[in-house]
Amino acid sequence: MSAIAPKFRFSYFLKSVLDNVFWIVTLFTLIGIPLVMILLFYIELPVINGNKLLDPYLALTTLADPSRQIPMLKSIIHSDFFRITAFPGFGFAALLAAATIFIERKMLAKLQLRVGPFYCGKVEGILQLMGDGLKLISKEIIIPAKADKPIFWAAPVLFVATAAAFVSLIPVASGGWVVADIDVGLLAVFAVIGFFPVITVLSAWSANSKFPFIGGIRALHQMVSFEIPLILSVLGIVILTGSLNLTEIVQSQDHYWWIVFLPIGAIVFFIAILAELERIPFDLPEAESEIVAGWLTEFSGMMYGLVQLGSYVKLYAFAALFVVLFLGGWHGPMVWPPFPEEIIQNGISMGPITLHLPGLPLLDQQMLNDVLWFVIKTMGVIFVILLPRGVFPRIRIDLLLHIGWYKLIGLSFVNIFIALGLLYAGVLGPGGIL
Amino acid sequence: MADTVFLAISVLTIGSAIAALEVRSLIYGSISLMGTLGGIAGYFLLLDSPFVAMFQIAVYIGSIAVLILFTVMLVRRQLIFFKVEDKRRRYAGIGLMLIMMVSLGAIILSSGIKTIQTDAPPIDFRTIGADFLTYYWPALILMALILASSVIGALTLARREDMEDDQRTN
Repeated sequence: MSAIAPKFRFSYFLKSVLDNVFWIVTLFTLIGIPLVMILLFYIELPVINGNKLLDPYLALTTLADPSRQIPMLKSIIHSDFFRITAFPGFGFAALLAAATIFIERKMLAKLQLRVGPFYCGKVEGILQLMGDGLKLISKEIIIPAKADKPIFWAAPVLFVATAAAFVSLIPVASGGWVVADIDVGLLAVFAVIGFFPVITVLSAWSANSKFPFIGGIRALHQMVSFEIPLILSVLGIVILTGSLNLTEIVQSQDHYWWIVFLPIGAIVFFIAILAELERIPFDLPEAESEIVAGWLTEFSGMMYGLVQLGSYVKLYAFAALFVVLFLGGWHGPMVWPPFPEEIIQNGISMGPITLHLPGLPLLDQQMLNDVLWFVIKTMGVIFVILLPRGVFPRIRIDLLLHIGWYKLIGLSFVNIFIALGLLYAGVLGPGGIL
Repeated sequence: MADTVFLAISVLTIGSAIAALEVRSLIYGSISLMGTLGGIAGYFLLLDSPFVAMFQIAVYIGSIAVLILFTVMLVRRQLIFFKVEDKRRRYAGIGLMLIMMVSLGAIILSSGIKTIQTDAPPIDFRTIGADFLTYYWPALILMALILASSVIGALTLARREDMEDDQRTN
């Protein structure tokens, strides 16, 4: 018998879950399906090859015949909504971010000869993250009594939204697999990054508590001073490619990666990424041994969860930006096997039944190969970002600012001069010999 | 569509500018200042110049508004401000603003802005760069000198002579 919920029985819990399932199924059958059928007559469906994508009279036959669903799936995959929510956009990034959290915990444990998450999901604790998510959702959200409530509520949501805006600028595969392919993509990235210190310091101030405020001020110092080397270190690439569009920057690395010619820029960019992400050794804003949890101290429940999600999505976005700028983006040898021809031509035979599936390769081989290489490179960069956590101690704030303002800016100017030398020597750039 | 967006951005910009002046809380005032600056970036986007818009966001919201916010947070406002509720000052301010806006508007309207083609294609930022290197090179060199001197100044400020301190090793 629990003291918190004395009337709790596990059977009551099961009963309430089953009740909910029953009512959802009933209401969906009685109201939902007829409503969808009615709505389909009013929605303008796209016309492909002279045929309507979905005939409202035959809408439910797609449940019986899978081959009718293929054009629908294709049109969904190529819609803007899918791009923003699922594939190159937020869903993909959140999935990789979740994988990153799990990998970080396991890897850190292995580095310290611990076991790490082990019991959730039986196999190496693979369901730990889901358990943590459920725990965060069910926790109470506590707001400090003297907090500035509108800003305090808005800050986690704004943090996730800014991280999602950052993700939307990253091209993942050739053929336009990017949410927002704009001409000034790199500038837009820096415009979006500029919002993070604002949100951090506002949320820190709004909590009206000592530790968040100290953490917020530290975060502000750190982010603002490392934005300058971050911007300066990629100027070399902009000089050599003559473009600010991220897709064009990736296409320019068809034969060689920029890290080959601009290693100093890559190193400066990587260190600035570590500082912008508040990763160890630059985790002063969240230093748990000094100021509890820094600017995250007063967040609880799902608000804390949102901030964590936002910071890991931001981690993915920065790693992907590093891949796009220095590691050749999606370029790599073709290793993805082609879609089997006989399924396209003869269909799938199972005993007496033959299933014909015309128009089957939903995604072409090139795109899948691109995504494979992009994800491999991005996970590699994320691994290198996570690795210092098991190795380095936290550095002092004056040394941090010294590194940012003094060494990294100087090194990024050296990088710019290397790029200019390569350009004027006629080696690289427009009309170069390579 | 563009008209609706223009109206929305105008309401946002002017509304948050008024809020930035009138709100008693300094933090909310600086947040509304960010709204104003973001609205101006929206105008640049509407005018087909995303290059300027992105710089507007990166510089004004990302740096200057943060600087203002930072300063406001470290200031105890009771020490430097005391409320002066003076009707005459307020009306004088409004009148001064109207005079300024009318005269500026007259200057802009008489400067030949009406002859600008509105359906011209957006100017590529590469064209801006090429213009800077050819026709406007003195301005470019001036800007480069100012920027270089400020960067050198920043480096000099960051480089400090460490006090001799036995407690600490660098």
